[in-house]
Amino acid sequence: MASEWHDDFVIQPADTVLVTGATGFVGAAVVDRLLDRGARNLRCLVRRSSDVSGLEALATGRAAGRLDLVRGNLLSPADCDVAAEGAAVIYHLATSRNGKSYPDTFLNSVVTTRNLLEAAIRAGCLRRFVNVSSLAVYTNRGKHGRRLDERCPVENEPVLRGDAYCYAKVKQDEIVHEYASQRQVACVTVRPGYVYGPGKDGISSRIGIGTFGVFLHLGGGNQIPLTYLQNCAEAIVLAGLERGIDGEVFNVVDDGLPTSRRFLRLYKRHVRRFRSIYVPHVVSYWLCYAWERYSAWSDRQLPPTFNRRHWHAYWKRTTYSNEKIKTCLGWAPPVSTSDGLRRYFEACTAGGHRA
Amino acid sequence: MLRVAIIGCGKIADAHAEQIMRVGGSSIAAVCDREPLMARQLADRFAVDGQYVDPIEMLLRSRPDVVHITTPPHSHFELASLCLEAGCHVYVEKPLTVHADETEQLVRLAAEKRRKLTVGHDDQFSHVARRMRTLVSEGYLGGPPVHMESSFCYDLGNPTYAQALLGDDDHWVRRLPGKLLHNIISHGIARIAEYLSTDCPAVFAHGHASPLLERLGETDVIDELRVLICEEGRTSAYFTFSSQMRPSVHSFVIYGSRNGLALDQDHERLIRLPGTHYKSFLDKFVPPVAFARQELSNLRANVRAFLRNDFHSKSGMKYLIEAFYRAIEQDTSEPIPYREIIVTARIMDRIFSQLRSQVSEASSVGSDASQFPGLDGRDVPPPTGAPGLAQHA
Repeated sequence: MASEWHDDFVIQPADTVLVTGATGFVGAAVVDRLLDRGARNLRCLVRRSSDVSGLEALATGRAAGRLDLVRGNLLSPADCDVAAEGAAVIYHLATSRNGKSYPDTFLNSVVTTRNLLEAAIRAGCLRRFVNVSSLAVYTNRGKHGRRLDERCPVENEPVLRGDAYCYAKVKQDEIVHEYASQRQVACVTVRPGYVYGPGKDGISSRIGIGTFGVFLHLGGGNQIPLTYLQNCAEAIVLAGLERGIDGEVFNVVDDGLPTSRRFLRLYKRHVRRFRSIYVPHVVSYWLCYAWERYSAWSDRQLPPTFNRRHWHAYWKRTTYSNEKIKTCLGWAPPVSTSDGLRRYFEACTAGGHRA
Repeated sequence: MLRVAIIGCGKIADAHAEQIMRVGGSSIAAVCDREPLMARQLADRFAVDGQYVDPIEMLLRSRPDVVHITTPPHSHFELASLCLEAGCHVYVEKPLTVHADETEQLVRLAAEKRRKLTVGHDDQFSHVARRMRTLVSEGYLGGPPVHMESSFCYDLGNPTYAQALLGDDDHWVRRLPGKLLHNIISHGIARIAEYLSTDCPAVFAHGHASPLLERLGETDVIDELRVLICEEGRTSAYFTFSSQMRPSVHSFVIYGSRNGLALDQDHERLIRLPGTHYKSFLDKFVPPVAFARQELSNLRANVRAFLRNDFHSKSGMKYLIEAFYRAIEQDTSEPIPYREIIVTARIMDRIFSQLRSQVSEASSVGSDASQFPGLDGRDVPPPTGAPGLAQHA
C-alpha cells in the first residue's frame, strides 16, 4: 500500500493525531494505516478496561512512530480534554454497537461526540475532525432511484427505523453538522458500508439473518455495500488529511461489489456449508409490512425491529457509488474485492468463525 | 388527565415512557436530565414538549402530578424529596434509596405531604406474580409461609449493562454500597419481603467475586451472593444471586404448611406444589400428569395474554403504573405497601453491611476469615422506630 505523506496534507507527520475507538475493528486498522503513512505523533483514547496489546503490537517495529495511549472515557469532559490537547486531526471512530437500547446507543455515540467536539474547541488547535458514520443513516424510500450516493437523503424520522444504531448515527451526524456550521469546526463525515475482513465474525444482515437454525437469505441479487478493512481505513485516513474537503460527506464502498447471492455462495464454498432459504423481495417486504403493522396494533408487544423503512435500507435492490471519494480524495481501494473476500474467507476458516 | 414527568433519561426511562404512553388518562408533560442531549432524545422519540436540565425548573414550570425518577440510585432520595415537597406523587426506580433510613424518611415525607410514593418493583406485578399473589391470598398455602426461596441471576455477558459496568471504572454502580448487587437484587428481595410478617428479620449474608470476575481483576465487585433471612420462630427464606449459575433463573418458591407454589419469572410459569401424596406407586405416576396439565395451563395463560396484547416485556411495569395512578386518582392504598418497601430496604442494608464486614475481615485476617460473618452474632442491629409500617391491602 502507498505510504507517503504529501506536503499539501492539512497536517504534517509530526502533528498530533487523535484516534478514538482505536481498539475497535476499524480503529486499529486506521492506526495501522496512519503509522504506515508516517504519522509520528499518534494518540489513541482507549477505555481503562480495553485490551491494548493489539495497538502496542502495531507500534512495535516502527521506530519513527510514537503511539500514546490515553486511558479515559468520552463521557468524561476531563478525559476528552486530555485526549484532545494539541490534536490537529481527530479521527472519531468510537461508537456504540449496542443496537437495542436507544439511550445507551445515543449516549455512547452522540453525547460522546459532543464532548469530544467541545474539548477540541477548547484545545484550539484542531484542523480536521473526521466523523465516522455509517451508510445506515441513508434512506432510499424516495423517488431518487436505486443508486445510493452522497446526495441521497438521510433518514428524516430515524426512530421509525426501529434501529437504535441508525437513530444514534443520524443524530451524531446532525450534531457534527451543527458544530461545523455554528462553531466553525472543520469536519468531514465518512460513511462506510459493511466493513469486513479478518477479525470480524458473521455475515451482514444485508445478506440475511439466521433464525431458529435456518439462514433466511434476504439479499438475493442485491449488491452488498462491502468495504474491506484496509480499504475503509485508507479512506478514513485520507479524509483527515486531504485539503479542501471540509464539510463534505464521503461514502465508502469497494469496487466490484458482489451480490448477496454470490457472497453467500462463496461463503458456503470456502467457509462452511449451512442451510439457507431464499426469501424473495416481495415476500420479505410484506413480512416487514405485516410485522410493522402488528407492532403498531399491539402497542409494540413485538418491537418494530422489522419494518418497511428497514427493508428499504437493507433489502431493497440498490446499487452504491464510490465516485465522490475517488474523485475528491483520490482514494482507490488498495485491496480488490476478490482478494478481500479470499482473505476474509481464509480467516473465517482458520478462526472457525460462523455466520 | 395526569400530567407525568420523568427525571433521568437513560435506559430505564425508555421503559417508563413506553408504559406511561400505554396507560390511559395520563400524558408525559416533561422530561429532565442534567445532560440536555439525553433529555432531547427522549423528548424527541416520545413527542414530549417539556425538556429540562434542572428538576426544580421542571417542577415549577411543568407542574406535573406524578414524577417518575429514573436516575442512578444516589440521587433518588434527594430528587424524590424535592418532588414530594413540590406536591407531586413519586414513582422511583429500584432501589428506592441507597440506605434504609432514607427510605423511611421518604415514606414519612410522603405521608406528611399526603402524596403517594412507590418503587419500581415491577416484577411483582407480572402476570405470573399476580396469579401467585391471588392463590396465596386465597389460602392455598394453608397458612403463613414456612419457607421461601428467591433466586435472581444475572448474566455478566449481557452487553447492555454488565459490560458497560465492567468496561468503566467510574461507572456509577461502583459507587453504590452494594455495587452491582445494590442495583439488581431488590426485585428478588422484595418478593421475600412481601410475605414476611415482621419488620426486622435476621439476615445472614455471604458473598464473593466469581472466578470470572477474579480473572478480570474485578476484586471489588461481588457477583455471587447467598442470604438466609429468618423471622424468629416463623418464616425463613433463602435468597440467591448469581452471575454464574445456569440457567440464569429468576424464580421464587414459597412453601406453606399445606402446599407450595413455584414461580418462574423467565417463562411466566406458576406451578402448584401440592402437599398431598398418593399411595404407593401412584405417587410416581399421578403427579407427573398433574404437573403436565399445569404446564399446559401455563401455556394457555401465556398465549391468551399474548393474543390480548398484554404480554409486553414490561407488562408488570404497566400494571404497577396503572395501579399507582389509580391509587392517586381514587386516593386508595398504594400498590406496594410501605411496610414491604421498608423491609426490603432494611434487608438490603444489612446484606451490604455484612458484605463490607466480610471484605474487611478477609483483608485484615486473611482469606480464611469467617465465611459467614452474620452467623457469629455480628449482625448489624436492626433500625428502630420505623414509622408507617401498618399492614396494607
